[in-house]
Amino acid sequence: MLTSLKTSRRELLRAAGVGALAIGAPAIIRPAAAADTLKIGVLVADSGPAALFGPAQRAAAEFGAATVNAKGGLLGRQVEIVFADAGAPPAEVAKSAVKLMLSDKVELIFGSHDSAVRQGVENVVKGKIPYVYTPCFEGDDCSSNVYFLGETPEQQLQKALPKIVELAHGKTFYLIGDDYVWARTTNEKAKKYIADLGGTVVAEDYYPFGAPNKFETSVAKIKSAKPAIVLETLVGGDNVNFNRTFADFNLSDDIVRLSCLLEENTLAGIGKDASKNLYSSFGYFADIDLPQNKAFIAELAKKYGDKAPQQCTISKGLYDAFVFAAAAAAKAKSLDAGKFGAAVEGLTFDTPSGPMTVKHRHTDKNIFLARCDGTKFTIVDTFSAVPTQQACS
Amino acid sequence: MESLVVTQAINVAYEVLILAALVLGLAVVMGLLNVLNIAHGEFVMLGSYTAYLVQKAGLPYLAAVPAAAVVCGAIGVVVERFLIRPLRYDPFETLLATWGLGLLLRKLVELGFGRGYRSVDIPISGSINIFGEAYPTYRLVLMVVSAVVLVALFVWYLRAPTGARIRAMVGNPVLAEAVGIRTRQLARNTFVAGTAWAGVAGVMIAPLTPVEPFMGLTLIVNSFFALVVGGMGTVTGLFAGSAIIGGLQSVLTAAVSPTTAYLAMLVLSILFLWQRPRGLFPRP
Repeated sequence: MLTSLKTSRRELLRAAGVGALAIGAPAIIRPAAAADTLKIGVLVADSGPAALFGPAQRAAAEFGAATVNAKGGLLGRQVEIVFADAGAPPAEVAKSAVKLMLSDKVELIFGSHDSAVRQGVENVVKGKIPYVYTPCFEGDDCSSNVYFLGETPEQQLQKALPKIVELAHGKTFYLIGDDYVWARTTNEKAKKYIADLGGTVVAEDYYPFGAPNKFETSVAKIKSAKPAIVLETLVGGDNVNFNRTFADFNLSDDIVRLSCLLEENTLAGIGKDASKNLYSSFGYFADIDLPQNKAFIAELAKKYGDKAPQQCTISKGLYDAFVFAAAAAAKAKSLDAGKFGAAVEGLTFDTPSGPMTVKHRHTDKNIFLARCDGTKFTIVDTFSAVPTQQACS
Repeated sequence: MESLVVTQAINVAYEVLILAALVLGLAVVMGLLNVLNIAHGEFVMLGSYTAYLVQKAGLPYLAAVPAAAVVCGAIGVVVERFLIRPLRYDPFETLLATWGLGLLLRKLVELGFGRGYRSVDIPISGSINIFGEAYPTYRLVLMVVSAVVLVALFVWYLRAPTGARIRAMVGNPVLAEAVGIRTRQLARNTFVAGTAWAGVAGVMIAPLTPVEPFMGLTLIVNSFFALVVGGMGTVTGLFAGSAIIGGLQSVLTAAVSPTTAYLAMLVLSILFLWQRPRGLFPRP
């Protein structure tokens, strides 16, 4: 009994050793095999408040990778995506970014998420590998080796506001937004443009972010203040809720609304009865009439059929990230921070929304002013190569 | 300025009554059965999705009311039989179980409908003049419905024999059973009434709010605080809690700022939980 127990223990140890080798060995073998493919960490919203965009983000990224691979890859290597969830708190996502770098050995990180998460990721990536941040954001970030493809408030507003003033036949503004950095920064920047136009801001309301907000109170104030234009920096559910309340109080006939975060999904929530005289200013809409976009949407439809997730500017940015990285790497012939950073300045690359040109690690790009017709966007004006007014060296 | 005051006064009443409608189902289940149904918001969400489907099928919006009551009531029956009763209506265990149930319901709806917003058209358009101020008709109708239901329930609970039986069961379950009240059945019916009403509340608010799988999460926050402040198990407490939480938020939003209003509500709720956890008008 005793001997058999001993043997079995020895065998157990041996088996455990073999097992450990089997588990540990790939870690040694991996670097050799990894040289063939180039791994890119892509942070998408699988959970959290932005999870609505998750499927479209994944689709855009996967199509971006396929496009780059079909053209011979990045630096001659096929790219492979490693997805991670960006919907968790910033500290958690930062941990995922560390894991992406250390254990998955990604050589680039692309991310579509909020600014708090971006700052968390920047703190751990520390400029060691290029980090491409794709959605619209408030600007004013020049962390090293980070590249910004999204719309800045300056891009969304500088050309669109004069046009909106013209459409509304008035220059009085009521600002309403969620109480956090993007909305407040956007409104601070908006106030400068409004002053330049000779307009005035009659009032500002900020609602707690993520709270069960109701908007009857603000709508009553707007009704009494009678502004020509309401400038909205509300996000997601709050944006839906406010616009529906606004229309239900019968204000949509007389007051023009410009939203700074209104894409296809949010408009579907607002609905056809509440979208009259509502405008959106963005660098991309899924319906824009450009051959590049038609091809982009058609390819996604071919791959996903009826189940193709609704594209919008927030998801489409991840496709751009692949095009951008491939073009930049081709010019730099390296992903080394210094060479990559030097090569991107002035680089022009083509995206579904038209060409983008890198200036100070941001991109000059087309901005579209769209009017909501029911639950569809109609482009009323296109502003080409709008500068970001950012000055990262 | 005067017209603004009128509209804001109606807004306060609106917020209080809508909150009361949302709290009602939670208050019935929590106040009478000591079960904090964390999945209450998800039953409201299911009611809203039912309204969405009814409207999409081209049926009159009123048809959504019985439909949602049946859907949420049926789920309530199953939940009571296989979740709440096996846990012997234990407050803590059912809290955890309904938390899990909420997760499950959200994920199931996400599977079926996706994360996207659904918009439900407002069934009654137009507005009515009150003291010279136009106010949306649908919101006024909701206020009336909510007020009538609450008053009717108040009267029923005090006068009807079933109300007396519930009071007996709540006061002393063993004695109630001894005098021939079938407490098991009565508890089940009470629970199911709570979930069914949550569904109806979902139908009421569906046209006014973004309908999406996670909508219940934010809805339950204010409802819970209204219960904490008002006190559990009494209709007076339900009224008081809704009036204080809804009113405070609405008034401070108009007078100061929405963020201050939210903060004030959280501070008030914490003070109550700390100093007066049974609320203003608890069941004696």
